[in-house]
Amino acid sequence: MSDAILEMRNIKKSFGDLEVLKGIDLEVDRGEVVAIIGPSGGGKSTLLRCATTLEKIDSGKIVIAGDTLCDTPEERAVYADKKMLLEIRSKFGLVFQNFNLFPHFSVRRNITEALIHVHKKSREEADAICDELLAKMELSDKADYYPCNLSGGQQQRVSIARALAANPDIIFFDEPTSALDPELTKGVLSVIKALAQENMTMVIVTHEMSFARDVADRIVFMDGGVIVEEGPAYDLVTNPREERTKEFLAGY
Amino acid sequence: MDIGAILLQLLEGFLVTLGIFAFTLVFSIPLGLLVAKGRMAKNIIVSSIFRFYISILRGTPLMLQLLLVYFGPFYLFQIKTGDIHLGPFDYRFIATIIGFSLNYAAYFAEIFRGGIQSMSKGQYEAAQVLGFTKSQTYFRIILPQVIKTVLPSVSNEVITLVKDTSLAQVLSVSEMFTEAKTLASANVSVIPYIAAGVFYYIMNGVIEMIMTRIEKSMSYYS
Ligand SMILES: Nc1ncnc2c1ncn2[C@@H]1O[C@H](COP(=O)(O)OP(=O)(O)O)[C@@H](O)[C@H]1O
Ligand SMILES: [Mg+2]
Repeated sequence: MSDAILEMRNIKKSFGDLEVLKGIDLEVDRGEVVAIIGPSGGGKSTLLRCATTLEKIDSGKIVIAGDTLCDTPEERAVYADKKMLLEIRSKFGLVFQNFNLFPHFSVRRNITEALIHVHKKSREEADAICDELLAKMELSDKADYYPCNLSGGQQQRVSIARALAANPDIIFFDEPTSALDPELTKGVLSVIKALAQENMTMVIVTHEMSFARDVADRIVFMDGGVIVEEGPAYDLVTNPREERTKEFLAGY
Repeated sequence: MDIGAILLQLLEGFLVTLGIFAFTLVFSIPLGLLVAKGRMAKNIIVSSIFRFYISILRGTPLMLQLLLVYFGPFYLFQIKTGDIHLGPFDYRFIATIIGFSLNYAAYFAEIFRGGIQSMSKGQYEAAQVLGFTKSQTYFRIILPQVIKTVLPSVSNEVITLVKDTSLAQVLSVSEMFTEAKTLASANVSVIPYIAAGVFYYIMNGVIEMIMTRIEKSMSYYS
């Protein structure tokens, strides 16, 4: 048995006539941190959205933590049943670019609501998990705040805590700092770095090149719906092989 | 007739007015939510039907709708509505509630639709990846936020409804306005009208206070 937490095989996805993913293969092992970089419009978000059930692929195979989300026995992808989908959704977390916190819930409730009502934990258990996560995010004093009273950086850390709450096997980040002012990105990046040091399995779409180089184990460069190049983070950034990768990195 | 007797009779009418008001809200709000859902249905036939419903009910006078609900069953199907009773309520009153509820549901539906559509896709997506079911998402995440956004518009409708209850006079329902008219002509006096006006005004004042309080209770986030 391989140690892959995420397995994406020959993923194809079109929006109408626009082919956005042209046969992507991506495997992420337990404890691995993979950064996905590339110019905008290259299909990075779509890839994450497909992995997290927000978009349906046309064909290919996705396996998350041993459970098959979808496979393509014939022409078109066939998805797991509803119950299995719920099961699979508890195995990953997703952090959005613009947080998508629930504005009518306090920080605590943002984090505990799914624990209580989806994962059927007691309020005490959920609160304990929440307190621990908030401490990790250096937000212990903000449990009773509402998202609108937090800075963007704090909101993003709450949303990371929310994604971590159900103890997922893997977390996806879609440009977690792109909506933040430069001085606020640091706090978020250092939280993600700390998670990497705890061997959290993560896939991070980012434009923070030095962060990707320092924190990721592997970098995947995507452009035009294909993976152009991938390799160990440091090598790829300092010594890219492909022309398109070189061009892209030259912009940073 | 002395003032006390006039006030007493108006008060009886006021209770009927309150009844129309309360029943209309109880029925038209859930119905409005359903109509809003139907209006937003992906199926184009379903959504067209509800769009048509909304445009007819908002595009014709409520008074005419009341008359149709009251006389329609007999004129169209020879149903003897005079024999219909639901507890203490005769068909006159029932028709009033039906007419008001159908009409207000159309207005509420458009308000709710606006509120539901103002929700960002991200809220649904965040809920989905956290594992919430569709109905959990709707009742825990979406609806509470929609309620907050639509509350000011709903308040407006509710206050309009207080004044609209006087339209029930076309069916000779003995609500406050009907009573005031009768009393005024019987006593050749404007006092019943003035008193009725005061009642309506106070009722709206109370309602406004309640709605403001509800809105305040939801202003803990923006
Ligand atoms: N829901 C959608 N409908 C139609 N086209 C879409 C949709 N989502 C993304 N696209 C298109 O797919 C391409 C890839 O987008 P995206 O995955 O967001 O790229 P990236 O995240 O790398 O910037 C873009 O051309 C974008 O316009
Ligand atoms: Mg993107």
